[in-house]
Amino acid sequence: MSNIERTIETPKEKQNRHKAMEAIKVINSIKDDFKSPIESMNYFYDLFERVYCKNESLHNDKTKVGTMCIQIPSEIIYALDGVPIRLCNGFYTDDEIGSDLLPQKACPLVKATVGHFASNNFIDKPDIVFSPTTCDQKTKAGTIIRNYGFKVIDVDFPRTKESEGSREYWRKSIKQFAVELSKFKNKKLTKSNLEASIKKIGYAQSLYHKLSEYRKEEILPILGLDMFLITNAFFFDKIDSWTEAMEILLKEMKIRVDKKITVAGKRSPRIVFTGSPPIFPNYKIPLIIEQSDALIVADETCSSNRMFNDMVAVDEWNLYDMIDSISDKYLKACTCPIFTTNDDRIRRIIDLVKNYKADAVIYQAFAGCTVYEMEQRSVLEAMEKAGIAILYIESDYSPSQQGQLSTRIEAFVESIKNRRRRKK
Amino acid sequence: MSNLKKKINNMNLVRFRFWFQIVAFLLIVYGGYIGFDLGDKLPTFACVYNSDGTGGKCYLGMLQHDLNHHWETFLGFAGYAFSISLGMFIVWFWLLNKAWCGFVCPLGTMQDWITAFRKKLKIRFSQYDWSSRAKIKSIKWILLILLLIIPVMISNSVFGLPTLPNGLSMPFCDICPGRMLIPAFTGDFGQFYIDFSSKTEIVMTTLGMIIVGLFLVGSFIKKRFFCYFCPMAALQYTFSKPALLKLYKDGSKCTKCGDCYRACDMDILEIADDVTSKNLVTEDCTLCLKCVAACPEEGCLEANFVGKTIFESTKEGFIIRMAMDKKRELNEQH
Repeated sequence: MSNIERTIETPKEKQNRHKAMEAIKVINSIKDDFKSPIESMNYFYDLFERVYCKNESLHNDKTKVGTMCIQIPSEIIYALDGVPIRLCNGFYTDDEIGSDLLPQKACPLVKATVGHFASNNFIDKPDIVFSPTTCDQKTKAGTIIRNYGFKVIDVDFPRTKESEGSREYWRKSIKQFAVELSKFKNKKLTKSNLEASIKKIGYAQSLYHKLSEYRKEEILPILGLDMFLITNAFFFDKIDSWTEAMEILLKEMKIRVDKKITVAGKRSPRIVFTGSPPIFPNYKIPLIIEQSDALIVADETCSSNRMFNDMVAVDEWNLYDMIDSISDKYLKACTCPIFTTNDDRIRRIIDLVKNYKADAVIYQAFAGCTVYEMEQRSVLEAMEKAGIAILYIESDYSPSQQGQLSTRIEAFVESIKNRRRRKK
Repeated sequence: MSNLKKKINNMNLVRFRFWFQIVAFLLIVYGGYIGFDLGDKLPTFACVYNSDGTGGKCYLGMLQHDLNHHWETFLGFAGYAFSISLGMFIVWFWLLNKAWCGFVCPLGTMQDWITAFRKKLKIRFSQYDWSSRAKIKSIKWILLILLLIIPVMISNSVFGLPTLPNGLSMPFCDICPGRMLIPAFTGDFGQFYIDFSSKTEIVMTTLGMIIVGLFLVGSFIKKRFFCYFCPMAALQYTFSKPALLKLYKDGSKCTKCGDCYRACDMDILEIADDVTSKNLVTEDCTLCLKCVAACPEEGCLEANFVGKTIFESTKEGFIIRMAMDKKRELNEQH
C-alpha cells in the first residue's frame, strides 16, 4: 500500500482522460457492434485511438494551419508546405468547458471548439488560425479565440453567392489569405507548388468519389459511420497516409462487392443524413441510426460529403487562374445554410436520395445551430413535395438523451420498413 | 459499345478539338485545291474573298448579296433565290448547330491559336464583368440588323430615306477581319488596303483595317474576343432551337460549382447557374464542349445528337483530364 505513488490529476490530464473515454467508446462501438467489419478500416480506428486516446502528435515538424470551416482552401495550405488542421470539435468534454464561456444557447460545436482553445490542450496545436466569417457563431468564436493568445486571421466570407460582387469579394479574400499565409510561412506560392497540391487533393477526392460509388450498391459494403470516420480523419491526418489507407480500403471494397459481403441487414432502410455536421466523437445520431438497423448511404454535411464532393477545375494553369478556380469552388458550390437562399442544398439532398436509392432522410440540427434549425422547415416541405420521408432531430453533445432519441429513430426506421413492405 | 462510350467520355477534348479545328481550317481555306467545296452557304466564316482554294464560303456574303435587289425583283425570282439560299444555310446549320463556331470557323480557330500563343507566354486572360457582358451581347444583333438592312437600302428607299451608295453592298464583309486574314493564308495579302475610290470605301476599308487590328490584339487578351460581336452568331441563334446537335444540362445533378463557367471561353453564366433549362445552347455558345469536359458531375452536361448522347460529363473523365488520377508526392520535396 505504501509503495503506491499517488499523484493528483491535473485539469489537462483529466480533460484528456475524459476525451479518451468519449473517443474509445465510439471507436469500440463502430468496431464491434456491426457485422462483417472491414479489415482496412483498422487504419482509421487506430488513427483515432492514437490521436485521441494516446495523444500522439502527427505533425511535430510541420506548420499547423488551423481552419474553422471548410472554406479555407487546403490546396493553398499544402502548396505553402503547411498542414491544414480543421478545428471543428465534437467532444462533450470540451463542450462543457466552452459552456462556461459562451451563451447557454450557443451551438455545441462552437462551444466545444472554444472550450478546446480555452483549455489550450492540443495534440497538434495550430500555429496560426484562419477563421472564415461563415455563420455568426463561428465568426464570433474566431474573435474569442484570439483573446486566448492565438494568432487568428479572419477571412471575409460573403453570405450570398449569386452575385458577381460576392464572387469577386471572396476571390480577394482568398488572395489575401494566400498572402497572409505566405508571409507567415515565409514561402512563396508558385504556379508549380499550387498546381501540384491541387492535383494531390484532387487525387484524394477522386478516391473518396470512388468509395462513394460503392455506397450506391444494392448490397451495401460499408457503414455510414465508417465514412464519417474516414472523412473526419482528413481533418487532421497526414494526407499521404490517408490516401494510402484509402487505396487499400478501395481494394477491399471491390472484393467485398464481388463477394457480396454486406454490413446491412435484410431489410435495412437506406438513409441520407443531413444537417449539422457529425464531428468525431459526436456520432450520437449516426450511431443510433445504424444501430437501429438503418444505414447511412450518403450525407449532405460539411464534415463529409460536402467537404469532398466538388473538385477544382482549371482551364489555364496560371497561378491566378488557379486561385480563382479554388475560390469559386469554395464559394459557388458550397451548400451551407448560412447563405441567403438555399435551394442548392435541397436539390442536392433530393439528388442524393435518388442516386443512392435512399428510403428516407434524417436531418440533425444541433440545438443552437441557428441556420440549420431555421431552414429545416423549408427542407421538410421540399421533401414532402418530393415524396421523401424525413425525420428532424434536434440534438446536442450531451450523452443524456440517448433513450428518447433512440425511441424516435427506431420508430422512424420501423415505419420506413413497414412502408417498404407495403410497397412490395 | 459501352467501352467506346467510356473512351469518348474520357477523351482529351482539348487535343481532339485542336486537331479537328486544324483539319476543318485546312479544308475550308485550301479545300478548293483538292476539289473540295461545300458551297457558299456555310454557317461559318469561310471567306468569299479567298477566291483561290476555298473549300466553302460564308453565308453572310451571300445573304448581303441576296438582299441587294429592288422590291419588285425581290418579290419575284430574287426572293426565290433568297429562300433557297437561306434554306441551304439552315440545313447546314441544323446539322452541327453552333459547333460551326467551336469546331469549324477559321476565325474562331485563329483566335484559339492566338490564345494558345498567349498561354505559352504565360500571360493571363482577361474577362468581362457580368454587366459589361450583358451590354456587349446586343452588339452582334445590331450588326446583324445593319447587315440585313443596308443592302436593302442600296436598291430601295426605305421609309422614304434616300438610297445608300453602292460601295456599301457588302457592309459586313468590308469590316470583317476574315476578309483580310483568311486569304492571307493562301498568300494573298491583297485585302490589306484602304480603298480611296469613294468616301464610303475609304470609311469602310479603314474600319476594316482597324477591326483586324482589334481582332488580333483583342483575342490575345480575351479568349474568343471576336465571337462576342459576331453577327453570324446572332443569325445562327435565330435558328438554333430545332438544330440536331444540342448541349443538354440536367439541372438536378448540378452542384453549381462553376467549373463549366470557368472553362467557358465565352463566360456564359447560365451554364453554371441555370438549373431549370434543359437546352443550354445560348446565343453566345460556340458548342466547343469545353464545359462538358470540365464538369465533374456524372451526366450533368452532355452533347446530344438527334436524341443520342455522344459526349457527356463523367467523374472519371474529369479526373483524367485534370490529371488528378495519379498520386503526387509534394511534401517530400523538402
